[in-house]
Amino acid sequence: MIEVKNLYKRYHGPFGGDWVLKDVSFSIPRGISVGLVGRNGAGKSTLLRLLGGMDMPDKGSITQNCRVSWPIGLGVGFQGSMTGRQNVKFVARIHGGNSNINQIINFVQDFAEIGKAFDQPVKTYSSGMRSRLAFGLSLAFDFDVYLSDEATSVGDAAFRAKATQAFKDRIGDSSIIMVSHSTGILKDLCQAGIWLHQGQAIWYDKLDDAINDYHNSIGKLPT
Amino acid sequence: MHSARSPYKVTLHVWHALFMREASARITGDRLGWTWIFIEPLVHILLFVAIRQLMGRVRHIAGAEFIPWFITGMVIYLMFSTVMNRSMGAISASRALFAYRQVHPVDTIVVRAILEVLIKVIVLLLLVGGAAFLEYDILPANALAAASVWCTMWIFALGVGLVFSVIVTTIQEMAKFIGMVTFPLYFLSGVMIPVQVLPHSLQTVLLFNPILHIVESFRLAFFTNYQSIYGINMQYVMFWTLSLVVFGLMLQIRFKNRLMSE
Repeated sequence: MIEVKNLYKRYHGPFGGDWVLKDVSFSIPRGISVGLVGRNGAGKSTLLRLLGGMDMPDKGSITQNCRVSWPIGLGVGFQGSMTGRQNVKFVARIHGGNSNINQIINFVQDFAEIGKAFDQPVKTYSSGMRSRLAFGLSLAFDFDVYLSDEATSVGDAAFRAKATQAFKDRIGDSSIIMVSHSTGILKDLCQAGIWLHQGQAIWYDKLDDAINDYHNSIGKLPT
Repeated sequence: MHSARSPYKVTLHVWHALFMREASARITGDRLGWTWIFIEPLVHILLFVAIRQLMGRVRHIAGAEFIPWFITGMVIYLMFSTVMNRSMGAISASRALFAYRQVHPVDTIVVRAILEVLIKVIVLLLLVGGAAFLEYDILPANALAAASVWCTMWIFALGVGLVFSVIVTTIQEMAKFIGMVTFPLYFLSGVMIPVQVLPHSLQTVLLFNPILHIVESFRLAFFTNYQSIYGINMQYVMFWTLSLVVFGLMLQIRFKNRLMSE
């Protein structure tokens, strides 16, 4: 269960500091997967970073009584100059998995299916390869909640099917909070939805309602 | 299901992971890799010895042979400047890793400082061993004192790194300024120019520089009959070291969020 109470967040930069999230409160029950929708810049990634502990809220609190992953995405979590294998080793070590490090490496290698590129620097990867590695890496650990920031959006059909399957196998044990602009994968994996709109987060018990309201707000016909 | 790890254990795991990462990056980082680590101090020595030969003014240093005198001072100073510079850049080099909430900015600094000092210990042992093999009188008279001075220099450099890393990460323009200010320290710390030959009025000013105290104390531990200047005092250095480390850690806590997001 994740509880967010009166959360405020803004970034101080040369371009002012408007609130990205303003007085956001919701709670996510255990085992419920949530899709985050909203236009670009609505604060979806910011919210995921806050949930993942990468960033601190300016005001308010986040309570989590479960193991939450880091935000799995394209831009974060990999050091470009290190190979895929070195990155996996690093993450395994900080999560205390030094004793079963080979097991974790084998799992990620099998899942990602990127062949020889596993021993090449991550900066040479295509975005699809990155997302395969990132997703496989996070699945190697037993988290209660996985945070995914568009991690699946650039994968090909085979990878999406595999990621969806891997997730469905875990439903009951773990859940996912995901940001994605492709409604297909959201509908496959999530039950509930949150629509981020003008700094507010609106909770929907049904993902379809969240997607519909979001689409209505941008003038797109409901599908 | 895993049981929760204690915060100390998490920190140890993070340090181990960062250390392995930094070490492998240091070896495979560029074409020169490991060799540069040993070439750099050798080049310093050869250049300086050559300059002195050309100038033909081999000054007499009371109580020590010239080359051992230079090696000891230069290696400990090089350790200081490497630890300081490498830990200053640690935060921006590890930016991608702050995605994992276990990794804090201060961890990257401490781990880099540890790695660099270990490398420099190897360099020191090789240079001292090499010079001793060539029959220079360089084996430390008081190895324990030398080791404690070395450790003090390391903690001092770590303190400087902790403070400066916050400054250069939050105000990027300061990096150039700090580079300019720290460059003359090489000449003001008695590494190349024996401080004994300078006029007394200048010595009293230079004695404000804690690095001079460390460099000279290091030589005093090596050479029994070495005559340094009056006023070399490790207590003064300890005061600086403690203040810098505490101030640096305070800055690291205060600006943690900015360091991670900047």
